[in-house]
Amino acid sequence: MPPRASRSAVLRALREALGPGKVVEDEEIVRLYSREPEGLEAPERPWAVVFPEEPRDVSAVARLAYKLEFPIYPQGSTTSLSGSAYPLEGGVVVSMERLRRIRSVSLVDSSVWVEAGVRIDDLNLELARRGYMFPVDPASSAVATVGGAINSGAGGMRGAKYGTMRDWVLGLHAVLVDEEGTTMFLGCRTLKCRQGYDLVRLIVGSEGTLALVPDAYLKITPLPENIVTAVAFYRSLGDLMETVVDIKARGIQPYIMEFMGENSVKLAASYARAPIEAEGSMLLVSVDVNREATERVLGELSGIMGSRALRVYTARSLEEAEEKKLFQVRRGLFPAQVEHARRTLGKDRVLVIIEDIAVPPSRLVEAVELIREASERLGFSVAVGGHVGDGNLHPAIGVDPEDPEMTRRAREWFTEVMRIAIKLGGTVSAEHGIGTLKREGLRMELEANNALKALDIMRAIKRAFDPKGLLNPGKVV
Amino acid sequence: MTPEEAAEWVSRESSRCMFCGFCEAACPTLPLGPHRAYGPRGRVYLAGLAARRGELGAEGAAGIYSCLLCAACVERCPARIDIPGLVRAARMLLAEGYARAPGMVPVRVL
Repeated sequence: MPPRASRSAVLRALREALGPGKVVEDEEIVRLYSREPEGLEAPERPWAVVFPEEPRDVSAVARLAYKLEFPIYPQGSTTSLSGSAYPLEGGVVVSMERLRRIRSVSLVDSSVWVEAGVRIDDLNLELARRGYMFPVDPASSAVATVGGAINSGAGGMRGAKYGTMRDWVLGLHAVLVDEEGTTMFLGCRTLKCRQGYDLVRLIVGSEGTLALVPDAYLKITPLPENIVTAVAFYRSLGDLMETVVDIKARGIQPYIMEFMGENSVKLAASYARAPIEAEGSMLLVSVDVNREATERVLGELSGIMGSRALRVYTARSLEEAEEKKLFQVRRGLFPAQVEHARRTLGKDRVLVIIEDIAVPPSRLVEAVELIREASERLGFSVAVGGHVGDGNLHPAIGVDPEDPEMTRRAREWFTEVMRIAIKLGGTVSAEHGIGTLKREGLRMELEANNALKALDIMRAIKRAFDPKGLLNPGKVV
Repeated sequence: MTPEEAAEWVSRESSRCMFCGFCEAACPTLPLGPHRAYGPRGRVYLAGLAARRGELGAEGAAGIYSCLLCAACVERCPARIDIPGLVRAARMLLAEGYARAPGMVPVRVL
């Protein structure tokens, strides 16, 4: 929808409402808020970026957007990998980065009140001092913000045990794009809450299309007393998956359960320089334990993992795991994927396209095989890894963005991986979101489930929250 | 290295950035600045812009000059981009007038 008011009228109104220093229209700076990873670039440059410093600033922007009819795009650190945060139709980016106060921490209430721009790792540093944690840990948690994680419904390595953002947001302030820029507190400050329809969970994961969220109450949990870790390497993915089944069948509930395919292990091991002999597929399992149970659980875990493995490495604590560099191969995955893409393509500038599907863990072996076949058919060397505990896979390929033919094949690959997820009873996005990249995937998934009407319902919900369609338009539905 | 060679290198090195933002976690200046230009992700992009365009605005140049060259970001970068090197080279381009910025007087005319 073309904006009604002129650029100069909008900027003047924003400057008057927000005061000095909160509206930046410098073209070069605006460019920094017009892009996302995966090569996404705003087709039309936004007019400005605004930086709310108080929740009331967010409300003022929403009110003006409604009155003057210009689109607004809320942003955290733009690390969702789904295209949910970059602007599409000009308008104004609302960066939440200056809203970064931890307002209160209550161990008695098991909750923390935080502003949207607080980074997840910064929150965890603060909580760790009190022996607590916020367990949702997207791979980008060092820079990912609470607000961005709420918008994208983020998950992470601990997802199998702790779930995703929707399980940890107790309540939030929602700012509507309406006449008043209405601010409502939705949800509760308590762990139990039955407030009619669950609007909090509707907003979590809505990718900033329903309401702006300047702050939220999150649930927190005590840090585990101790964590034991085992890393094992397997000749075949089948052996690895049978081991996963055994671990689950014994009733062990892992804190982290990660796997990497052979290709990924080879790449990451050479990059990570860890003193472990890495070959075949890798399974990394951490289990949280009471200190007294350390030896018993680690013994049981390494016994199960070792029965089919080429070799197993273990650690009695996180400190020992770090000393032995047991997480190094897993951590080296992304840098290794980048380096691999550069080498195989012989280019400085490459894109690493990371998929984000989930299948029932029982279908993981099939999923990996089908993804490998599809990648080979389309001429890509795929690196597969992911959160095996919850069936979330992140296969990745390297693409030369200046090669239109390869870019076309990469799009086909992206769609094919989503098709595989749907075929195996999974979902097209586990934790990154729909954004612009998976709108067709969402439609495909709903169609396969005979649920296309859900799209109409979603659009009706969008209209109920944002009747003029000004909040992050062009995303999700 | 001539300014032309430096500009070519800056352009190539900065084009490797995928904009993942992981570098920002380590940057001591970003939380104190007004926006992303005061962090490595912004500086890498702006350095490339300065090299390609031959000019940079005052805000962008301020971002380039706010860097402490501490190199904390380098370890975080999955593409292992030489971020402090880019900042130094961008400053050289600005200082020598290869890339013009408002308020900056090229050292050569002094």
